[in-house]
Amino acid sequence: MVALWLAEPAGLAARHPFLFGMKFNAALAFVVVGAALLLATRGLRRLPALMLLPVFLYGALALSQHLFGIDAGIDTLLDRPFVDIGTSRPGRIAPNTALCFMLVSLALFLRAVRQRGDIAQVALGFTTFIVAAAALVGYAIGLEFAHDWVRFTRMSFQSASCFAALGLVLVFAGPQATGYYRLTLAGVLGLATYLLLLAMTYYELERYEASFGITFSGDGPNARATLSSLVLISGLLYGALVAHLYVSPRRARRMALDLAESRARLAAIIDNAVDGIVTIDERGIVLTVNAACTRIFGYADGEMIGRNVKMLMPEPYHGEHDRYLSSYRRTGEAKIIGIGREVEGRRKDGTTFPLELAVARLDVNGGTIYSGIVRDISGRKASEQALIETNAELEEFAYRTSHDLRSPIASSLGLLGISRDMLAEGDLAGLGQMLQRMERNFRRLDHLIQNILTVTRNRLMEEEDGPIDLRRLVGEAADALSHLDDVRRIRIENHVPPELTIVSKPSKFQVIVGNMLSNAVKYHDPKEAEPRIDIRAFRHAGKLRLTVEDNGLGIPPASRHLLFQMFKRLHPNRSFGSGLGLYILKKTAQSLGGTAFYEARDKGSRFIIELPDGE
Amino acid sequence: MKITSILVVDDDENDQFICEYTIRKFDPSIRVVKAFDGTEALDALRAGTPDAIILDINMPVMNGFEFLDRYAQEFEVHAPVVAMLTSSHLGKDRERAMRYSFVKSYFEKPLQADHLRVMTDLLEA
Repeated sequence: MVALWLAEPAGLAARHPFLFGMKFNAALAFVVVGAALLLATRGLRRLPALMLLPVFLYGALALSQHLFGIDAGIDTLLDRPFVDIGTSRPGRIAPNTALCFMLVSLALFLRAVRQRGDIAQVALGFTTFIVAAAALVGYAIGLEFAHDWVRFTRMSFQSASCFAALGLVLVFAGPQATGYYRLTLAGVLGLATYLLLLAMTYYELERYEASFGITFSGDGPNARATLSSLVLISGLLYGALVAHLYVSPRRARRMALDLAESRARLAAIIDNAVDGIVTIDERGIVLTVNAACTRIFGYADGEMIGRNVKMLMPEPYHGEHDRYLSSYRRTGEAKIIGIGREVEGRRKDGTTFPLELAVARLDVNGGTIYSGIVRDISGRKASEQALIETNAELEEFAYRTSHDLRSPIASSLGLLGISRDMLAEGDLAGLGQMLQRMERNFRRLDHLIQNILTVTRNRLMEEEDGPIDLRRLVGEAADALSHLDDVRRIRIENHVPPELTIVSKPSKFQVIVGNMLSNAVKYHDPKEAEPRIDIRAFRHAGKLRLTVEDNGLGIPPASRHLLFQMFKRLHPNRSFGSGLGLYILKKTAQSLGGTAFYEARDKGSRFIIELPDGE
Repeated sequence: MKITSILVVDDDENDQFICEYTIRKFDPSIRVVKAFDGTEALDALRAGTPDAIILDINMPVMNGFEFLDRYAQEFEVHAPVVAMLTSSHLGKDRERAMRYSFVKSYFEKPLQADHLRVMTDLLEA
């Protein structure tokens, strides 16, 4: 436009005056505004702000000329127009154009300074747009007031288009910062323009009435009232539509958020489940796995998804699974679906483990999938097994105790009967023998009860760790055996180094050492010329080893598997044992975290205790 | 018919003594053979079959039941009267022992003259 004005093509202006609707000043201002907008978009602040200042001043001056009827001389300051279209004074812009220049320059000034959109810019752009849009529509429908606020000076079609575009840029470029929905804004823009046009139409109608001296209103039905109500109704409808535009995306967004949240919650539940959850399709191909699955089976989820689920099963399930699935598809006869049972799983490292599996059939839109919930029950199985073993042991214990407790009593009763006979016969020597036998019975009974108490104490006793001087402990245990028969014949050698101390539970350790020594003494070989017992202790591979060696009777190979079992007595003719000694030894060692074992020697036995080395 | 020989299988020396004393008192003519566990008993039986066996259950090396299994398998001729003599009064043990065809009675310790009378009756029957 600026170029057109400077070229002054008089012929063109005469043929198409419409082309020259936009004044030179206005065109120049648009060039400045456009340049400022581009610069502001590039991130510059000061330069576009400075450029916009004169535009604003120009708009303000132009508007004040209209308002106060003055001539500030700005209309023809830069160019004297060779033709005047739609204006009262040469080169003067319309008041609405002037107003729009003020609004636009102010809004762009804010944009340039702040480098982001805000509510003020949206409001300014909004106003600019509706004024410009009303002018445009005014051209289209022949509503003069829309572009022609004061007589003879109108906003040109070109200016209106430019302002509408600038308004849109201000409203929509960067409204994210203001948090408004584009659709709602567009609706409100349309509504506001519509309302403005309505007001203008009404105003123009009144003007016509005044200028022609007629009135459309009067008694009875009249066009103006009908028109008014129609316009009102359409305005309400339009308003309702805009309100809907405002509400519906909000609701949709809220629903989308709710859905996303509930999905995320579900996913979190599945992923944080303790049990593994795996879904497969009809052919057995893994569709999804949760985090617990990767923990249970040791595969990353990428290694399972897309592969056949039988990879998680050992034989025979591995080989049979495809057949299970196809047979279920064919016959509908479920072996596991909807039932759940204990099966075996196979980890990535090849180990198998007991697994509780529950499978559900899910008929979804696309077909059938199966979801399996898997739980590693090896811990439960192990404790079940331990419980069964403990229970069996207790049962055996109760059985054997009842038997062995009764034995010496039954025997003593028999001996009492015999004693009575002997007393009647006056056989005092025989009677003395009977008393000796009975005494042996009661000693045996006492020994058994002591052992039972030891077993029970071992089970129940909680004991603190303490330092143990091993050499001293072995020496004391050896001294404590002096009451046993033949002990004086046996040479007991304590080879434990004096500096060896360990940290363990002292009274349990005492039980162990006492047990090993008394066994060695009891089962020495009476025919051996030099019976001996050697006790050694040393640290070995992070463990403490205590060995007791003898050259006694040893354990016959056939009976060795019974060693360490409850109530097993392995030596004939030597019934003074309770059958609990080695059992107590093993249990006590275990309760200290160690083990007890036996090694045969050429002659005699070697019993070994290995304990974790608490130094 | 009188009992002429009895094998007593028991690891407890006191119980052996009581048995021998009771049998002598019941009938001094009965020959008493002692075995202190199942293997010794089998050895004694290979030498000859007595009229009766008195058998304890709880013994080291080879217990009463293990002995009965071996005795049933390895011997065609069995002693006419095999009586269990034990301090266990559990029905379970009794049932298990009575399953052997040659086990005729189940007594609780100590051995008494009445037990020997029952055994004599069984031998005569």
